Parts: sequence; structure tokens; C-alpha cells
Amino acid sequence: MSNEVINKEKWVLLFQEIGLDEATMTKWHREFETRYPDGHQSFLDWLNIEANEIRQIRAL
Amino acid sequence: MYTIGQVAKKYSLSRSALIYYDSIGVLTPGGRSGSNYRLYSEDDLEKMDRIQLFRSAGLSLESISTLLEKENSELNLILENRLLTINSEIQGLRDQQKVILKLLENESLKRNTRVISKETWVAMLKAAGLDEAGMRNWHIEFEKTSPEAHRDFLESIGLEYDEILAIRDWSS
Repeated sequence: MSNEVINKEKWVLLFQEIGLDEATMTKWHREFETRYPDGHQSFLDWLNIEANEIRQIRAL
Repeated sequence: MYTIGQVAKKYSLSRSALIYYDSIGVLTPGGRSGSNYRLYSEDDLEKMDRIQLFRSAGLSLESISTLLEKENSELNLILENRLLTINSEIQGLRDQQKVILKLLENESLKRNTRVISKETWVAMLKAAGLDEAGMRNWHIEFEKTSPEAHRDFLESIGLEYDEILAIRDWSS
């Protein structure tokens, strides 16, 4: 593990960079939540997102 | 001044813990009462606040003792070392998680673990509309903007060392 921190902003930038828009990202979260709910949570934890915001994203 | 009982209560510690802290020199109370009971000053409590903070970061009493005496540069060094230890512990736990998953080989259990496998990621990225080329681009961007996090991410989805090297090689 490195000490380099990847956060939500960096992740979103990365996705935008390769051409994913807001709507696609929302769809992506929904797919993720449907197929792998615990993996989704784990991923959002990894991005250091606050618990409240994680709940909102998972309920998209 | 505060008695040992008051300090123990304030920090949810046992009296014996405070006596131990005193015996090893981490926190020696500034005063004694007429009947020779330990008395803690405001300064001692401030020190106790720092001790609690360092404890919550998982530092040993030995490291804390050093920290309380030294300058801030020493603090960074000790915290960085602690971070490295935590990182290697996480890595070790991931490895155990992988082994257990292999042993279980049970789809419903897999679904409920927090491991996101490479296959899951590829499926999820495809669901977002990314094709092969899009995924290559994603790795290239990831490697460009955050190389260390890229490696960390690849480790977290359970890739073997060789495969990680290969991906980082073509994406850089």
C-alpha cells in the first residue's frame, strides 16, 4: 500500500477524463449497488467518503 | 489539581493504568497531596490529551514516551512509521481474505464479501459503457495522475505482482 491518497475528486476526474458523464456515473453506481452491494460500500470506503454521503450514493 | 480518580474517570482509564503510566514515565503527575496522593495539574491533563490521541492512532506507550519529549519532526517520523505498519497489516489481511475466498469458493459468500475482484471491476466498467479501449485509457490516466494509488488499487482487487507490473508497464 502506498501513502498516496486517492479521493472522490480524483476518481471523478479520472472518469471524466475518459469521457464518462454525470448520468453514466449515476448509472454505474446503481449497477454496482444492484450487483455487488458490499463491494460498492467497500469501494466508497476506500475513497474515504463520509458515511452520510455513502448512504446517499448507495440510495441513488 | 485533580486526583487520580478524577483523571481516570475523565479519560475512561483505570487507576492502575495511570499508575503504570507514572511508573514508566509517560505521565508523571506534577504534585502530591499532604498524604502523598498523586495530584494532576492542568499541564498533566494536556499531556494526557496528547497521550490519548496517540493511543487512538495505535502508537505504543514507548513511542508516545519518545514523542512527548521530542520535537515535531520526530512526531512525523513516528506517525509515518505507524502508517507503514498499518499499510502492511492491511496488505496482510487482504492476503488472508483472498486465501479464505479461494477456500470457500461459494458464490453467495463472495457476493457478500468486501473484496472487489478484477472480474467485478471489469463488469462494472463495462456497465458504465467502457469498452476495451476505454479501460486502457482509464489505466493510462490512472498511472499518469496517481501511479502509487494505481498500484494500490490493482493490489486491492487481488492481482498478482506480475500482472500489476505488466499493466503498469503498458499504461505508463
